[in-house]
Amino acid sequence: MYEAVHARPDGDATAARHAATAARYGYDGVVVRTREGLDPVGGNAAEDRSREAAALREANGVDVVDAVEIDADDATSASGAVGNYRSSRTVVCLVGGDDGLNRFAVEEPRVDVLVRPMDGSGDFNHVLAKAARDNDVHVEFDLGPLFRATGGKRVRALADLRKLREIVTYYDAPHVVSANPRSHLELRAPREVVAAAEAVGFDPEWIEAGLRAWGEIAERNRDRRSGAFIEPGVRLGRYEEDG
Amino acid sequence: MKHLPKHLRPRWRYLAVGIETWPDAEIGRRGFQRALWYAAGNLLGDAGSADADLTLLSFSHDGGEGEAIVRARHGHVDDARAAIGCVAEVDGDPVGIRVRGISGTVRACEERYMGRASANSTQRDVAFEGAERSAIVRGDAYDVRTESGYVGAAAFDTE
Repeated sequence: MYEAVHARPDGDATAARHAATAARYGYDGVVVRTREGLDPVGGNAAEDRSREAAALREANGVDVVDAVEIDADDATSASGAVGNYRSSRTVVCLVGGDDGLNRFAVEEPRVDVLVRPMDGSGDFNHVLAKAARDNDVHVEFDLGPLFRATGGKRVRALADLRKLREIVTYYDAPHVVSANPRSHLELRAPREVVAAAEAVGFDPEWIEAGLRAWGEIAERNRDRRSGAFIEPGVRLGRYEEDG
Repeated sequence: MKHLPKHLRPRWRYLAVGIETWPDAEIGRRGFQRALWYAAGNLLGDAGSADADLTLLSFSHDGGEGEAIVRARHGHVDDARAAIGCVAEVDGDPVGIRVRGISGTVRACEERYMGRASANSTQRDVAFEGAERSAIVRGDAYDVRTESGYVGAAAFDTE
């Protein structure tokens, strides 16, 4: 299972501290969603990971994925940013929270994850869910408020999560789950995440699938960046011997 | 009052809880118990909170690290785990919290999961982000002091 973290300078802990804590908590990896959190893979990658991510993996025994969170004002600038970061990052996330941005994200196959779609004035509906399914854009369920907010703010966030869950599960759109930790102190072990989500009505296996989905996205994208990949179903390599 | 017959006594599970804070945080037993019940009340409601119990049996915290034993009613361990996970801060200090394990007796809980405090914390000057800063070092964990408060770093960042 993976957790997608906000590392310094976006959060209060470095990517290395997040990785060390996640390893202790039983995660298989962390996705660093801060743009400056890690060296990007870029063109001169060590294998398929950025050199810093590879070193962190070596040191802690958990996978470290270089990602980026694009926080744009409107769809036009988001589109430019997606084009810029797609080639240099393993996972590209787009911050939603606005109807135009949510719509743009789910209709853009180059985006991997639409994060925090219900923040601010953002809303989700059946049209977006179908588009997300067709374009394989994962919709993030932000459990941050469940762990850290109180009172009315938390109630509204949980109501939004329930609405989002009903729409996304009905159309079987891909999903990811994260608690959006901004420091190692906000990180929670997978079993705690599952238990807390279960207490507010989520299916535990569905939450586990959402935590694993980060890893699946990273693996798929690494495979796509590797030299052997031509297009889905077409690979460079030897014939299978038993053919 | 007279003891209950054995089959009527409540059955308990004991959760070993690991706590992590910034090095300058002072959290006490009372504050932690209050945060625990507050989290349970908010997440599970009064009824669920009463079922889960969540009484604090032992607590220690020092220098950014702590541990506790929390009692929960047998059969409500998942609710207890959820409530414990929702403790985000104690008296305004953010806490990292995790359930290390669950036992059927306090003694087994202590023997198996407690007393694993890592090496004592020391203060040291480290090179971090191109500047010399003072840091509280606890094993592999480096809490570096900056202008805007502590930053969580690891040995990896200071090499």
